[in-house]
Amino acid sequence: MTPQALMPKTGIRYWPGRVLRGIGRFLKLMSRNKTGFVGFLIFIGFVLMTTVGTLFVPEVTSADINAIYAPPTWEHPLGNDSQGKDILSQIVHGGRDILEMALLTGLISTFIGVALGSLSALVGGGFDAFLAMLADIWLTIPQFPLLAVLATLIKLDNTLLLALLLSVLSWAGLYRSIRAQVYSLKERDYIEAATALDLGMWHIIFSEVLPNMLSYIAISFTFGMTSAIYAQVGLVFLGLVPLTRNWGVMINLAWTQGAIFFKDSVYFIMAPVTAIALFQLSIVWMSRSLEEIFNPRLRTG
Amino acid sequence: MSSAAVSTLTVSRKISLWKWVKRIASNYVVRMLARALFTIWFVTTLIFFLVRLMPSNPIEVYINELIVQYSLPYEQARDQAASLFAIDLNAPLSKQYVDYMVQLLHGNLGESLRSPGTSVWKIIITFLPWTIFSVGLGLLISFLLGVLIGMLLAYRRQALWEPIVSGIASILSSIPNYIIGIVLLVYLGVYWGIIPINQMRGSRSPGIQPGFTWVFIKDIFFHAAMPVFTYVLSTIGSWILSMKSSTIGTLGEDYVTVARARGLSEGRITTAYVGRNAMLPLITQLLISIGFVVGGSILIENIFVYQGIGYRLSAALTTRDYPLMQGIFLIITISVVLSNLIADFVYGWFDPRVRVAGGEG
Amino acid sequence: MKKPQTTQQMGTQVPLTVEDLWVEYQIERGVVKAVRGVSFNLAKGESLALIGESGCGKTTLGVALIRLLVKAARIPKGEITYWRDNQGLDVLSLKESELRRFRWRECAMVFQSALNAFNPVLRIWDQILDTSKAHGGMSRHQVRERAMQLLEYVQLDPRRVIDAYPHELSGGMRQRVLLAMSLLLDPQILILDEPTTALDILTQRTIIDLLRRLKEEMGFAMLFISHDLATAAELADRVATMYAGSIVEMGPVEDIFYRPAHPYTLGLIRAVPTVTGDFENLASIPGAPPDLVDPPPGCKFHPRCPYVTEQCRVKEPQLETHYSETHSVACFNVKRVQQDTLDLQERYAKYAGGKAQ
Repeated sequence: MTPQALMPKTGIRYWPGRVLRGIGRFLKLMSRNKTGFVGFLIFIGFVLMTTVGTLFVPEVTSADINAIYAPPTWEHPLGNDSQGKDILSQIVHGGRDILEMALLTGLISTFIGVALGSLSALVGGGFDAFLAMLADIWLTIPQFPLLAVLATLIKLDNTLLLALLLSVLSWAGLYRSIRAQVYSLKERDYIEAATALDLGMWHIIFSEVLPNMLSYIAISFTFGMTSAIYAQVGLVFLGLVPLTRNWGVMINLAWTQGAIFFKDSVYFIMAPVTAIALFQLSIVWMSRSLEEIFNPRLRTG
Repeated sequence: MSSAAVSTLTVSRKISLWKWVKRIASNYVVRMLARALFTIWFVTTLIFFLVRLMPSNPIEVYINELIVQYSLPYEQARDQAASLFAIDLNAPLSKQYVDYMVQLLHGNLGESLRSPGTSVWKIIITFLPWTIFSVGLGLLISFLLGVLIGMLLAYRRQALWEPIVSGIASILSSIPNYIIGIVLLVYLGVYWGIIPINQMRGSRSPGIQPGFTWVFIKDIFFHAAMPVFTYVLSTIGSWILSMKSSTIGTLGEDYVTVARARGLSEGRITTAYVGRNAMLPLITQLLISIGFVVGGSILIENIFVYQGIGYRLSAALTTRDYPLMQGIFLIITISVVLSNLIADFVYGWFDPRVRVAGGEG
Repeated sequence: MKKPQTTQQMGTQVPLTVEDLWVEYQIERGVVKAVRGVSFNLAKGESLALIGESGCGKTTLGVALIRLLVKAARIPKGEITYWRDNQGLDVLSLKESELRRFRWRECAMVFQSALNAFNPVLRIWDQILDTSKAHGGMSRHQVRERAMQLLEYVQLDPRRVIDAYPHELSGGMRQRVLLAMSLLLDPQILILDEPTTALDILTQRTIIDLLRRLKEEMGFAMLFISHDLATAAELADRVATMYAGSIVEMGPVEDIFYRPAHPYTLGLIRAVPTVTGDFENLASIPGAPPDLVDPPPGCKFHPRCPYVTEQCRVKEPQLETHYSETHSVACFNVKRVQQDTLDLQERYAKYAGGKAQ
């Protein structure tokens, strides 16, 4: 029995256990930071609203000319829009798009960042140097204008395509932090041991490096989400992305129809604005808890 | 003997030349400049190939548009398109690329599709200064204020108002800048009507002569006020939070304790020992922020109808004015790269350690 | 009234007297009593070493002497007096601005981590100038002149060092620059907090030699804080052992090393391996220093003490003289400890033999 024969097996067997334990610890630590936990709860609230909530609030499709800019009532808690449609219903139904795209972008961009970052750090050499330089340069290119220009060249008519594009554009930031993280992990004993035992790169990435970066990956994920929301709503606001009715489109409509200049339209414009602001805030706050988990030195604060 | 002497001489000269080249290459300034130039080249190349290789090639789209709208023959439409995009469509792609780069070096960015006869360069010259002015002013104000407030928070960690200010900073830093812009516009401009947003549109009032007159200066500040305010509000939160944590970290440094032991005055310690060191990480952050804020100007200038380059770009985007779009994007990137360069030098001035970094070994 | 008498008794000038000094920290768990009733004098030209494990309060004591304690700390009781020309300066009653001027001029402190002792963004010269400006009295030119002299004195190339940034100097060089800077205002007292700990062994050697030279030639009093007994033995005239915030034994350096009377001092000495690699008598002190929020009753060392008696558990022994007027110890079982110190002589003899080979 050589250690080489033993190691991979135990590694694989323990991997899910480590992840589960990681999640358990994650929830416990999450509640340590009050702000972070509030953010987490709001975030869960948004997720529930856009999934379960849609079952309770019917989607309004027909306009009601008599109720244009009607102020809030019990029936329409957020009032009505420029066409007399209920705003609350639009908020509930208009979040799904944003949430889906944000989660998708978070997933894809984290995957790209983790894959490139850990590969780069583990392979090293010219490949690593080249990617690092490219990332440096990429970071100085203003993302949003590039995205806006690309949006006129590519028809961004589905969520997956947009998420993919956003992820590809934002690779550099995540790549750089993951690379730094892997570099510091690389110095640690168990990675050195695994390298010495010649366990193979993918094994090292998936069973040694990844579990140790779980919480950090979660932060990258939230960062991917916030920048995705920023970019998507921005593009929609400029009218560059044809998407179904969502919060960004609501703002865009309020804007293009001049509703933004009528006092009565304040609910129409403020409802999606508040939703986006609160959603972003919840993610950023949530990441505060995640950061604390990631960086134990902050825990006392 | 003489040949041996000569060869040693050439060898030593070679070595010294090599050393000299190495020294130049490792020089901080040279490295920064090289990176900036490389970035600009990278972006121009990227844009060139993106525009040409995309499935819906904008040049083809425009040629079709000319044929359909003005029923021009294909050849004529093609010629017109080529002149507007400042390229020769008959040449192979590599030749087109070289030509395009040569044209760029001569400052020729082509002509606008939507206002034929106007060069892209001229449009950029008219709109860009306003963006540089408003974004620069906004970032300057927010950086200085943020640094001050952040330091104050770090020094007054026990104060009752500390969590309130930190909380506001945290909220401001998480909300997208255009959301802040819209809220300002809706409440200050429309709902409460405190601010005459209609008069504030544009980058300056018509009829006022540009120059170093009080009237003109007052006017441009009046028009830039809302975008600048938005830039300040949307960036100050992160300056405050970073400066606060950075200052707290610096206050724990040994050299601050030693400075106290040396009997330095609290003022000197706060500025030269704590402040200057705590600011270092923020300068790096400023680099990333410049690009982000310039990018955001597309949206902010649109909201306040401030006629800067971002406003013009969004117009070019919606009208699919490709040469203009391409030119503006290039210029935005170049300005961001240049401001990064400036910030890099400022950093080098602030932190002597980077001046030699990589220079040795 | 009491202190001038002490001065006369000793027959020399005494630049520093510390009387029943207490320092406490407020932490979440309660109050940490970091320094508990410490009293000592420092004579002119004398070097006193404070030894003890980390966490025994020696650094806190050092920092308290120039009132550079963190915000959470307070001094509930005690007196610290600096004497110059028979004029006493009550440090604990100084106002913030007076305190600022007092620091470094009367008492300079060289810290453990010289690596981080300098502001990384200012040149050495600017930092020296800062120090001088804060106290006034010297023109820019005079400061430059003096700084060059002092740098030369600490065996550095003044021209190269003075315009350098801290990162351009090695750890040993920085420590020497800090030493030079500490002499800038000609203080009477130098506090050295583990001045060699962060350095490699060869650099340690040069710093120790330098300190010895400084002591002999400059004639100021030194308070030397260290956990390294060998360094203390080399540099100190007197040694004070600290345990749990109190001085448990104080005496001339030979007495402390050859005839320690406190079990803790004896333990410390036993824990040092000799160069010959003689490990047979090497013993570490079992257990850990006590929790200073909730210290044990009686003698604070009793839970770790091999000589412990019933009395030790209830009553805390006070410092009393032993062997001679200058050697005092706080222990009830001095006689029994004394029995066990006999082998030390042998040990040292072995060490000396090993050294000779």
